[in-house]
Amino acid sequence: MKSLLKLFSSVKLAIVLLIIITSASFVGTLIPQQRSPSEYVAQFGQLGNLLNRFQLTNLYQSSWFISLLFLFVLNILICTLTRFPAKFRKAFQPKLIKDKKNILVLKIKDSLGKNWDLAKTKKELKKELSSRHYRLKEEVEENKAFLSARKRTLGLFGADVVHLGLLIILAGGIISGLGGFRKNLTFSEGNVLDIPNAEFKLRLDKFETEYYPDGNVRDWKSTLTVIENEKPILSKIIEVNHPLSYKGFVFYQSSYGWNWANTSVEIWVKKRKDPSFLRKIEMNLGARVKLEGENIHISAIHFIPDFIINERSEATSRSLQPNNPAAFIEGWEGDEKVISGWIFAKFPDFARIHSEKETDLSFELKSFKAGQFSVIEAAKDPGANIIWVGCTFLMIGLALAFYWPSREIKIILEEIQGKTGVIAGGIASKNREALQAEFDKIMSSLRRSK
Amino acid sequence: MNESLLFYATFILYIISAFYYFTFLFSKRENLARIGFSFAFVGLFIHTIALVWRTFESGHAPFTNMYESLSFFAWSSILAYIIIEFKYKIRKAGPYFMLIVIALMALASSPLMPKEATPLVPALQSYWLWLHVSVTLLGEAFFAIAFITSIMYLTADSREKKGGAAKSKLSAEKLDSVSYRCIAVGFPLFTLGGLVFGMVWAFKAWGRYWSWDPKETWSLITWFVFALYLHTRIVMGWKGRRSAYVAIIGFLAALFTYFGVNYILSGLHSYA
Repeated sequence: MKSLLKLFSSVKLAIVLLIIITSASFVGTLIPQQRSPSEYVAQFGQLGNLLNRFQLTNLYQSSWFISLLFLFVLNILICTLTRFPAKFRKAFQPKLIKDKKNILVLKIKDSLGKNWDLAKTKKELKKELSSRHYRLKEEVEENKAFLSARKRTLGLFGADVVHLGLLIILAGGIISGLGGFRKNLTFSEGNVLDIPNAEFKLRLDKFETEYYPDGNVRDWKSTLTVIENEKPILSKIIEVNHPLSYKGFVFYQSSYGWNWANTSVEIWVKKRKDPSFLRKIEMNLGARVKLEGENIHISAIHFIPDFIINERSEATSRSLQPNNPAAFIEGWEGDEKVISGWIFAKFPDFARIHSEKETDLSFELKSFKAGQFSVIEAAKDPGANIIWVGCTFLMIGLALAFYWPSREIKIILEEIQGKTGVIAGGIASKNREALQAEFDKIMSSLRRSK
Repeated sequence: MNESLLFYATFILYIISAFYYFTFLFSKRENLARIGFSFAFVGLFIHTIALVWRTFESGHAPFTNMYESLSFFAWSSILAYIIIEFKYKIRKAGPYFMLIVIALMALASSPLMPKEATPLVPALQSYWLWLHVSVTLLGEAFFAIAFITSIMYLTADSREKKGGAAKSKLSAEKLDSVSYRCIAVGFPLFTLGGLVFGMVWAFKAWGRYWSWDPKETWSLITWFVFALYLHTRIVMGWKGRRSAYVAIIGFLAALFTYFGVNYILSGLHSYA
C-alpha cells in the first residue's frame, strides 16, 4: 500500500502516463473512430478484427483509455496532496535562515555594511521592503537579527490550482458521460414533440433557410415554442451558435432536410414539332393527371433529389440535398403504359424516356416542392457547468504559476562594534531575473541611504 | 489600392527584413540587424492595415479560410517576435524566424489558397471566432519562436561543447532560457484560446464541449507535449538538449494541429 502511494506520488509516473495517453490519443486520430465493427473488417481484414478486439475503434470511450485517464487523475491528486503540506508550511510558516552559508549558496545574493546599529539598519531595511509590499517575519538574537520578506506567496500554488482545475474538468467529463443525454428530434413545421425525460414539449412554429446573394446558406432558423401543461411558455428563434436553453436542456439547430417522399413536381410537356404546344402539370407523387387535349395520363412515380446510378445500375440518391433532382414519369393510354423514364431538373436535354409507341411529346421537370424539416438536438449536459468552473481554475492557476511568481528575500543582520553587516539572498519560484533586478534596487537603496 | 496589394507589400517588407537579417548573420554588423528589425516592424504595421482592411471589406474576422488564417498567423508571429526581441535581444534568431514568416506568407499567397472573402458559413457566425482563433494563433506564434531558439540551442550547444566558447552574446544557455520564456507565454495563451475558448464555442455551436474530433485531439496532444516540457523542466530539472527536443516536437504537433488535420484527417473542424 505504501509503495503504491509512493508510486502514485511520483512525477515520473505522471510523465510516463502523459506519454502513454498522448500516444494513445495520437493512435486514435489515425484510425477512423466509431464505425460499425463490420466496416473495419471489410476495410482492414484480419487487422480489423484486432482493432475491434482492443477497442481501438472506439478508443476514447474504451475501458482501457478511461482507465488510463483514471490512473492519471489519481496520480495528479496524490502528487498534489503529498506535496501540499510542505508547500503550505513553506508559504505560511517561513523558516528563517540563521546560517550565513545557506544564504551564500543562493543564486541571488549580496552583502554590505552600514555604520549604523542593528536597530536602525533593520528599521531602514524593513521600510524599504514594506514599501515594495513584502511581508516580514523576524527574530532577534543578541547582536543578530534574521528576516524573511515575502510577497506573491499565492504564486507558489499556481500549479496546484491548475491541477485542481484539471481534476474538476475531468470530473465534469465523467458527469457528462454518465448523466448526459442527447437526442435528435425531427420536426416539420407545426409539430409538437415530447422531450424525453422532461415535463415539457417543444413545438416548431417555423423553419427557414436564409441565403446569401451568391446562393450559399447564411443560416438556418427554427422558431421554437416551449409548451408546459398545454400552455406556451416561451418562444425563441434558434440558429447555429444560438441555442435555446430551458430547464437544464439545451436545444441546438442540428440539421435540416426535405420530406422527399411527399414531393410535388411541376412538369412541362412540349411537342417537338409544335412549338406552340405547352402543358404545365403540377402533381403530387403517385397521382395521375390527364394531359389536356391528348389521350394520355401522366404520372410521376419517383423523385430523387441527388440522382446517381450506383454500381448495381440502380437509380439512387447520392445525398438528401437537391443537387441533381430527377423524377421518374410514366405515360398511360388507358391500361397501357406507353412512356416511362427519368427527367432531370438541371439537365432538361438529358431526359431518358422510353416509349412503346411513336410519340412527339417531350417532358421537362420544371420545379419541385417538398416540405422541409428541422432537426433539433435536445441535450442535457450536467457536466458542462462544472467544466467551465474547472477551466476558470485552470486559467487562474496558469496565470499564478507563470505571472505571479513568489519572491522571498532572506536576510541576516549582524552588529559588530556599532556597525552592522547585512547578508541577503533571494529566492523566486520563477523569473529569477525580475527578482534580481528588484533585489539589486533594494540593496543599492540601502547602500545609499544615510 | 486594395487589401491584396497591402498583403504583397507586407510580404516584400518581410523579405527585405530577412535579407538584412541574413547579411547581419554573415557580416556580424549589428546595425544590419537593426535595419532588418525596422523592416519587420514596418511590415507589421502595413500588415495590420491589411488585416483591418480585410475585416471591413469582408465584414468578418480576418481568419476564416486558409489564406486569411496563414496571413494572420504570420502577423502574430511577427508581433510575438518583436515582443521577444525587444525583451531578450535575440537578434541572431531573427534571420531564421523570418524564414518561418516568409514561408507562411508564401503559402498564403500560393495559388492553391482561394483569396476571395466568402460569406461566413453558419457555424462560424460567432464572436467566439475572434477569441478562439486569435488567441490560439498568438500562442502558437510563441511556440514558433521557441522552436527556432531550441534548434539554435542544439547547434550552439554542440559548438560550445566542442570547445568553442560562446562567441556571441546569444549563448546556448540564453537560448535555452528564451525557449522556456516563449513557452511560458505561449502555453497559457494556447490553453485559453485553443482549449478553453474552443470548448466554450464547441458547446455553443455543436452542443458538446468535447467530441474527440481530430482537431480537438491534436490540440490536446500539442498541449500534452508542452505540459511534458514544463513538468520535465520544472519538476525533474531537465534543461538543454532534452528540453529543446520536447519544444521542437511540441511546435511540430502544433503545426500538425494547424495544417495537417485539415488536409489529412477529416472532422467537424473543417474551416481552417
